[in-house]
Amino acid sequence: MNMPQKVPVTILTGFLGSGKTTLLNRILSEEHGKRIAVIENEYGEVGIDQALVIDADEEIFEMSNGCICCTVRGDLIRVLSNLMKRRDKFDYVLVETTGLADPGPVAQTFFMDDEIREEFSLDGIVTLVDAAHIDQQLGRSDESTEQVAFADVLVLNKTDLVSDETVDDLETRLKDMNRMARVVRSKQADVPVDTVLNLDAFNLDDVLERKPTFLEPEYPFEWTGVYSLKSGRYELNLAEGPDPEMSLVIAGNQGSDDAALREGAEWCVRRYAEPPEHLQPNDDIPLWEHVNLHLEASGRKSFFLVVEEDQDVGLYTQHTAEEFDIELKTEDGTVIPPGAERTWVAQHEHDDEVGSIAIEADGDVDADKLNDWIGELLRERGVDIFRMKGFISIADEPRRFVFQGVHMLFDSQPDRAWGNTPRRNQLVFIGRNLDEMSMREGFEACLI
Amino acid sequence: MSDLSSDPEGILKRGWSAEVSDYAIAGGWLRRGAALVVGDAAGGVYVFKGKSGATAWCQEEVHDGGILAMAVRPRGEHFATAGQEGRVLFWDVADAKVTRAIDVGNAWVEKLAWSPDGKWLAVACGRQVRVYDVKGEQVWHSDDHASTVSAVAWASADELATACYGQVTFYGASNGELRQKLEWKGSLVSMVLSPDGDIVACGSQDNTVHFWRRSTGEDSMMSGYPGKPSALAFDGAGTLLATGGAESVTVWSFHNGGPEGTHPGVLKLHVKPVTTLAFARRGMRLASGGRDGGVVVWSMKQDGQGGAVGAALVTGVLSQLYWRPDGQALAAIDGDGGVTVWRTK
Repeated sequence: MNMPQKVPVTILTGFLGSGKTTLLNRILSEEHGKRIAVIENEYGEVGIDQALVIDADEEIFEMSNGCICCTVRGDLIRVLSNLMKRRDKFDYVLVETTGLADPGPVAQTFFMDDEIREEFSLDGIVTLVDAAHIDQQLGRSDESTEQVAFADVLVLNKTDLVSDETVDDLETRLKDMNRMARVVRSKQADVPVDTVLNLDAFNLDDVLERKPTFLEPEYPFEWTGVYSLKSGRYELNLAEGPDPEMSLVIAGNQGSDDAALREGAEWCVRRYAEPPEHLQPNDDIPLWEHVNLHLEASGRKSFFLVVEEDQDVGLYTQHTAEEFDIELKTEDGTVIPPGAERTWVAQHEHDDEVGSIAIEADGDVDADKLNDWIGELLRERGVDIFRMKGFISIADEPRRFVFQGVHMLFDSQPDRAWGNTPRRNQLVFIGRNLDEMSMREGFEACLI
Repeated sequence: MSDLSSDPEGILKRGWSAEVSDYAIAGGWLRRGAALVVGDAAGGVYVFKGKSGATAWCQEEVHDGGILAMAVRPRGEHFATAGQEGRVLFWDVADAKVTRAIDVGNAWVEKLAWSPDGKWLAVACGRQVRVYDVKGEQVWHSDDHASTVSAVAWASADELATACYGQVTFYGASNGELRQKLEWKGSLVSMVLSPDGDIVACGSQDNTVHFWRRSTGEDSMMSGYPGKPSALAFDGAGTLLATGGAESVTVWSFHNGGPEGTHPGVLKLHVKPVTTLAFARRGMRLASGGRDGGVVVWSMKQDGQGGAVGAALVTGVLSQLYWRPDGQALAAIDGDGGVTVWRTK
């Protein structure tokens, strides 16, 4: 028997009034060449005749074992199993959930039920967010937080009803919660259809193309400058800046290419995790140590640096050089320009319990170790992990493995061959109160 | 297990085959095997002559959106069909026409079952079950169930059973009086009753089979299925319960106080999950059909063990299997619209 193509399914979530039905109608009117089935859990005015619209009551089926990760949507199983029997199958299925729906069971249905998994693929979860109301909703309801956390695309709708500044703040907040999702702004759910359909949402390449900083790790420092120094004594001179103090680590033997800078950054992250040594103006700055420069005094301030042997040093500063007009001078006052410099994505405070963790590493992982690690992670934290996806380079495997998961449910399969592309790993987790450091270490222990 | 390698078809001797225009959803033998009716996902009703397979008559697109259920009335002179558009149609075989069309409601009508005496037709639509008399007059309807009704079956001519999320409910046939509730937290996706109405078995979404003995109040759960057991069948004596939920057929025996504490018979031949199971009305022959297009007939023993005595392949996923009432022929309908009949000597 031939294996038919799986029918893609997009789930539309969002609170009542966020614009789900408007978006639905837009999709149906623009995709008129396709056979689309719509499963609605909420009465809406779907104004397009050729779509098959099925009203189904939301039926949440918990399992006798009490595991929330096994909870599925019975109405979807029932309706979809019938739809897939038709010879003139549907090209696409859209599921519009109620405003208060928990996206977990909806998504889990596509993993848990064998028959559904065989015929349908979850293309993506699109969550509509009402720019005027989401701020309060996020604080008050778990459903709205989870709808944001589960999303592949967040449509920030009704942006015309609030100020630009509010929209910017909202976007930042949403991205903090879910770094995996693409945020699209709209006034009346008027987003291009290709931003919400056929996402192949688990295709990370596409995600990376859209948003290059997507997996960029966050660092406790914003800037690095590499200086080529002969042995001797140097002055680090700073003007008044936005903060009365600034953290700094100076690494010795610092390379200037991107790999060396990243390696230095990873090393400095660990230094930054240690309590700093507090330095007053005119103190000497030791190499390799986390120091905190006290800059309360007015005017420019000087600190000193003694280099024993000729070498390149890397300054990893909490703020950018520009903000404090940082200058490195020789003893005779000549300003040394940095030979290389770069900025980093700065960490910022996460107010919400829900957040994203991105792990990126070059090289191969040991399949057994990875299985053990993922298995344990999902057993212990599965309830708090809403979504995960990524790709992995397994040792001795010519193809890369892509994986995705919802809560404890995990699915991985071989994808295209690595060929000449560098082998690496990218993983993204979205969840509640996740411990980034221990997850990062857990994954790194799987590397060969 | 029997060795079918020299003669794979074994007792299955190809009779005839025919086609309907879409996924064959449901069917049944009419007039003691003189004809076979099949309904498809495009909403067509087809009646084939039982001996030759020639089309006696057909009507296409009678249910807008497709047929979801069909039930042949005992003695096979009438049958009922139901579809996505929320209608139930009563058909007369002799006149080849609809005698009554009922608009049941806005929801899909997914299950139909005639009472064993042919007096009542049970109709499941959304969260309610309704009972109609032979003329198509509604006699009663239930309150809303906890979820969409997933199965209906008659415990006796006098009593109807329904299954839904978390519950099996029994109603008096003539007035809908609530007789019994059997509760269990789980999504019940299929149901079958022993011929005496005492044992109720349900397949559950969480890959278990749960059953109750109504006379003693005992219940048991059988776990270990890799998939959800949506196919279930009792043999005519009420001794064996065959269950799907995997590539293998698992058969529990109620003989000698089982099946608690016993090992089930495990019948292995299918290479994809079993989708349908049917026991011949008399004797111990079980037919199984799978997603692999395989049809296997097994000769069963009272302890649940059995061996294959016939096997055949069709092109589509097996939808349903129907033994002719005399047990001398087996009809298979499949997902490619195929209708295949074998003689079984």
